[in-house]
Amino acid sequence: MATAATPPPTTAASELNMYIPTNQPLLTRIRLAANPDVPAIHKMIYQMAAFQRLADQCFSTESSLSTTLFSKDNHFESFTVFLIEVSTKSFPSSSAAHHPEFTPIHKTLNVHPPVSDPEPETFKSSTMEDEVFVAGFVLFFPNYTMSVAKPGFYIQDLFVRKSYRRMGLGKMLLAVVARQAVEMGYGRVEWVVLDWNTNAIKFYEEMGAYVVKEWMVYRLISDGLQAFAATNDLEK
Amino acid sequence: MAAAAPPPPTVPAELNMDLPTSYPLFTRIRLAAKPDVPVIHKMIHQMAVFERLSDQCSATEPSLAATLFSKNNPFESFTVFLIEASTTPFPSSSSTGVNHKFIPIHKTLNLDLPISDPESEKFTSSTMEDDVIVAGFVLFFPNYSTFLAKPGFYIEDLFVRESYRRKGLGKMLLSAVAKQAVAMGYGRVEWVVLDWNVNAIKFYEQMGADVMQEWRVCRLTGDALQGYATASGTDGLDLI
Repeated sequence: MATAATPPPTTAASELNMYIPTNQPLLTRIRLAANPDVPAIHKMIYQMAAFQRLADQCFSTESSLSTTLFSKDNHFESFTVFLIEVSTKSFPSSSAAHHPEFTPIHKTLNVHPPVSDPEPETFKSSTMEDEVFVAGFVLFFPNYTMSVAKPGFYIQDLFVRKSYRRMGLGKMLLAVVARQAVEMGYGRVEWVVLDWNTNAIKFYEEMGAYVVKEWMVYRLISDGLQAFAATNDLEK
Repeated sequence: MAAAAPPPPTVPAELNMDLPTSYPLFTRIRLAAKPDVPVIHKMIHQMAVFERLSDQCSATEPSLAATLFSKNNPFESFTVFLIEASTTPFPSSSSTGVNHKFIPIHKTLNLDLPISDPESEKFTSSTMEDDVIVAGFVLFFPNYSTFLAKPGFYIEDLFVRESYRRKGLGKMLLSAVAKQAVAMGYGRVEWVVLDWNVNAIKFYEQMGADVMQEWRVCRLTGDALQGYATASGTDGLDLI
């Protein structure tokens, strides 16, 4: 078994905590991620793996992420990442965050309870804008439903950094993927949930989704995949 | 099958009447293309009937052609393999139906009984080769594993026409997708099964697939999805 890739370095000792008291506005922005965002995405993937207690199964590296996610500029036709970023100041109106295929989406929240972010410097936005920090991401890609002959989106990952949870950021990321699906004339947005995760199921049902009851997910991986691919003596 | 299977060999009276006879079936897996849309469309409807979902099947030939075959980028997007069958061998030098991105895969099966396919006329191959009938298909597309930072394949549909079932054609189609995944350095192949489809479940378990027991698929669709369109259902998201 290959060893897991070493996790990214922990933040420098001198990193200043960012503290936002209650009832202060927190400005948020959702934008398309690009190659310069790989370091932040990589760190968030490791935090997500740790949260799921699967850190030893995480092998992603900055270069493998860069190659597989950002080698082509074909957003929405392949693997796509939205970032949600936060700031206590207004985002600049002419911005490195703009992308011809996606205009950033903004929302101002009122903080309650206070926000305390111990690693703002680690998650400074790649746009280099003042005081803008990455708070979460969603990774999705097109799928296809034969019976209606339409693409849809499948959401592979949705993650909000610990300091920014329970403020609606996850819901915003999901809503933006849903909106993109509607705008593109797509038929569905799908994802999976663990059947014991009643909080998540409730959240998703409140958003209008339903659990597809009769389906079970099967997977062929690593040795099983290699073995099955090698069988069957198919001739060319 | 359009052509009758060759008659069984006549057996001289003095030989043992228990000689086994077998009926060869020549099969080929190839990439589908736009000319295959009519047979794919018919198979989708047969599949919907099997899944007891035919009232939800609204695919048309034009919508399939536009969404599946507008670009020639198999394996980077939605991809269809067809499995075709014939009672006569495929010509070895045939280049019909070959997309340079995928070399067709052949296998000869030896059946105990000849195929009886009452609908063969409706499923003749778009390649117009003699006696070649479409027997099934698989639709798949890339997915992504964040932990591996690698793509995989997701199999959306796997279907073998009724006359050709229980002969290993479904397994061949799955195996072709698995081989393609391995050849491309991909990490996983995934799909879903209906929990009452005991034949399929047994088949997948035998081939070494793992069931993700705790996973449930969530879906946002129809009116609930439409509610997220711009200017509604998004809780005051502002556009800059």
